Amino acid sequence: MDSDAWVIPLAEAATVDQQQIGGKAAHLARLHQTGFPVAPGCCITVAAYERFLQANQLPLMIQMELGRKPLEDLRWEELWDSALRIRNRFAEAQLPGQVEHAIRRAVRDLGSRTPLAVRSSAPGEDSANRSFAGLHESFLHVVGEDDVVESVRLVWASLWSDAALLYRQELALNPLHSRMAVLIQEMRIEDCSGVAFGRDPRMEDSENAVVEAVPGPCCELVDGSVDPDRWLVHRASRQVVRFTPGRRDGDPQNEPLLAQHDLESLLALLDRVEAHFGWCPDIEWTGRSDRSTVLQARPITRGRLDPNDKRPWYLTLRPDQRRLRQLGQLVAEQLIPELRELGDRLAAEPVEQMTDSELADCIEARLAQLNRWKQIYWDDFIPFAHGVRYLGVYYNDAVHPEDPYEFVGLLRGVAMLAGQRNRSLQALADQVRESQELRNAIQQIVLEQSVPGEGANDRWVDRLSSLAEGDRFVKAFQSFARQFMDVAFGGHRLIDEPTPLLQNILELASRSAATRGTKEGQQSQEGPTAGDLEQRLLAAVGTDRHDEAREVLRLARLSWQLRDDDNLLVARVESQLLRALHVAGTRLKTSGRLNADAKITADAAERIGAAMSEPNGQPVLLPTTEEVTSHPMRASSGDSPRQLVGQPAAQGLASGNVRLVRGPQDLGRFQAGEVLVCDAIQPMMTHLVPLASAVIERRGGMLIHGAIIARELGIPCVNGVAHVVELLQNGQYVTVDGYLGIVTMGPPEFNLELLERQDGG
Amino acid sequence: MTDEPLLESTGSKQASANAAARQDDLRDLIERLTLEQPYAVLCTQGKGQPYGSLVALAVTDDLSSAVFATPMTTRKYRLLCDCDHVALVIDSRSQSVDDMMQIEAVTATGRAKQLSPGTEFEQMARLLVGRHPQLDVFVRSPSTAVFRVEIIRYFHVSRFQEVRQWIPTRG
Repeated sequence: MDSDAWVIPLAEAATVDQQQIGGKAAHLARLHQTGFPVAPGCCITVAAYERFLQANQLPLMIQMELGRKPLEDLRWEELWDSALRIRNRFAEAQLPGQVEHAIRRAVRDLGSRTPLAVRSSAPGEDSANRSFAGLHESFLHVVGEDDVVESVRLVWASLWSDAALLYRQELALNPLHSRMAVLIQEMRIEDCSGVAFGRDPRMEDSENAVVEAVPGPCCELVDGSVDPDRWLVHRASRQVVRFTPGRRDGDPQNEPLLAQHDLESLLALLDRVEAHFGWCPDIEWTGRSDRSTVLQARPITRGRLDPNDKRPWYLTLRPDQRRLRQLGQLVAEQLIPELRELGDRLAAEPVEQMTDSELADCIEARLAQLNRWKQIYWDDFIPFAHGVRYLGVYYNDAVHPEDPYEFVGLLRGVAMLAGQRNRSLQALADQVRESQELRNAIQQIVLEQSVPGEGANDRWVDRLSSLAEGDRFVKAFQSFARQFMDVAFGGHRLIDEPTPLLQNILELASRSAATRGTKEGQQSQEGPTAGDLEQRLLAAVGTDRHDEAREVLRLARLSWQLRDDDNLLVARVESQLLRALHVAGTRLKTSGRLNADAKITADAAERIGAAMSEPNGQPVLLPTTEEVTSHPMRASSGDSPRQLVGQPAAQGLASGNVRLVRGPQDLGRFQAGEVLVCDAIQPMMTHLVPLASAVIERRGGMLIHGAIIARELGIPCVNGVAHVVELLQNGQYVTVDGYLGIVTMGPPEFNLELLERQDGG
Repeated sequence: MTDEPLLESTGSKQASANAAARQDDLRDLIERLTLEQPYAVLCTQGKGQPYGSLVALAVTDDLSSAVFATPMTTRKYRLLCDCDHVALVIDSRSQSVDDMMQIEAVTATGRAKQLSPGTEFEQMARLLVGRHPQLDVFVRSPSTAVFRVEIIRYFHVSRFQEVRQWIPTRG
């Protein structure tokens, strides 16, 4: 193929098929030909992308990656993981010689020191029915041949970004047919940029145009990081209907960024573009009046937003470094200390001594606080948790590691509340292991208290305290419970139920020291240290970017730490609501105003609070306590799963009996050596993981709790196994292959010793 | 267990020469089919019970060996450990669903041997990954076993019932 087919100058691209250069480039090429102000540049064609793909056999890899299970069953975290792996393969892949040569020549023609914009231009991306602004990547201020080639690779990879995969059906993404062209243009650096819509995009029949402007480059408006000035302008008369100034921190002058003649100039531009193409345009522009340049022109999308569509929210989960820094400061310095202080304060309140009226107020206040913090969890904590993913992409772009998750090693040793809790629990287990007398007594208590009775908690405390080592154990246990178990899980306060925890401690104590030693030994020997990886990152980015890299690392470590702590701290506030509800519930039951078998949950808070505030109100009837004792198998008889497929989330191979953990009622039943099977490992159940021989979860992702802890402990983990809780049963023997991401039912049909011999060499 | 005896060649010199020419032709047919078809049905057995598994396959240039990989947690792996006598069925049915007479199939019989890390493992893994690049991670996983099948002979079937055999020479 002639090298001209790989790269076409924008000035010669006006007649090229849009399928070859994508909508964005095709529109700009036509505007350029007609004399509109468009920056010079070139298009890397779809054929070049196809050549790159075929030369590296990437379609097969994409099919493997996305074909593991139905795409609609993949959670967003799993899509992100798939996108990261695809991106890594694109970044590693070699550009075919002719394609690379053509791109380098085009960059030299534009000027080897000229700052360039490298932008996606996918066919069909910008039609009237589809507009996917921001789903694909663009790189600005790219200078030099090497950096442009690198950016082109990443723009190609962004055809398979997490965002694009979320919208795969609308984009008609297909590993065999989807294509991507790339537009390279000289950067235009002006002091003001924005967008302009030929009509208000929210109303089909609007007579008004909409203009938005921000200081500096347009990308900051498009990615939402800067609030724009906004004008609604009558299209025909050019009269401003409404002006809304942008709220921008540190903007010294509150003057509107555009004057009337700037607006008129932009509306004239809209008129000309509309006349040229025959559709009402949405343009991105930079520079005022006669200095303005068209960065992009496309038809206004007709599609309307579905209010139930959660995908736009996911798109907000890609904060840039500036946003992460703001979030980090807010979360670490303000919200987490406030939340911790709230938990402490609520725990210290003497709800048992409150009058009914005070208790009603207390319940109302605690419910409001819990709801507020749940909202903050969605608005601030979850977006900040993406600091880790930001680091992942940053590290991979700089270092190009073979393993796309090598960056997780940078987070080793970050002190998390759950880790501290697990170490304290192990210390309690060590005490039990050392004293046969203590162990026997706890075993007896656990047996007797499988059905807890009134005052049972006090009795076990008295019994243990009378033993030689018992008092020390009881004090440590109670301190542990106050510090770590005052959390709500599945509607229960774990601090109220000591028996499951005592059972877990017995199981932890039963693990032989040799077994623990082996696992911990493996963990410490595996892979490079966090320090090694940090040096690798710093060396890769170069001295000029050391401060930036350290900042990315700092934010990632902070987000890693807080993503766990925030869950536990919110659960602590919920626990304090439950505490108040339990006191109120007991009073209402005693006075016959609540059914005796009512289950006290946070969902009933308003009704219980109202009943407390009205002494003569109607009796309240709440649903009764029900424990799930068995779960129907999803598969019918004769159609049973033999091997389940998920994602290999922590390496290793292990067999064991299934233990389903569906809620707090299952925590105490967990026995050492069992395979932990659950919907998703919650922060409140991570202390079970050291007991498990393997972990299987329905929820998928390489960076979720279960996967992280299993990797740290050297326990195999397969996650993202659809319907696993319904498909497996307690006691069923399974083999978990954390290398391949498969779970095999039935007795093992292989020789583990043989595998170890081969693995060990 | 023993392999069935080879079929004896009979007839005149001319018939032998014709047979040799047909054999060359047959070799090409088998080679083409193994190059066109990336997958095969692996036939194993245990305690008299046959078992079939679809595998991704690659065949050496001289057609004397085939390579495939399997997770060690599978039934086929256990059966292979118990008995190394296997058959592989490679066919073109997906290309000729509407015309049975156009379907070609090859059954290769031989012995399967699990490869330990080393030169031979590397060569065969490279051959398999070269044919199926998407299996790179799978083939290199510690819980995956790579098997080389030493092919003793091929049976080629065309036009529904026309069957010929060919014995590869090693080298």
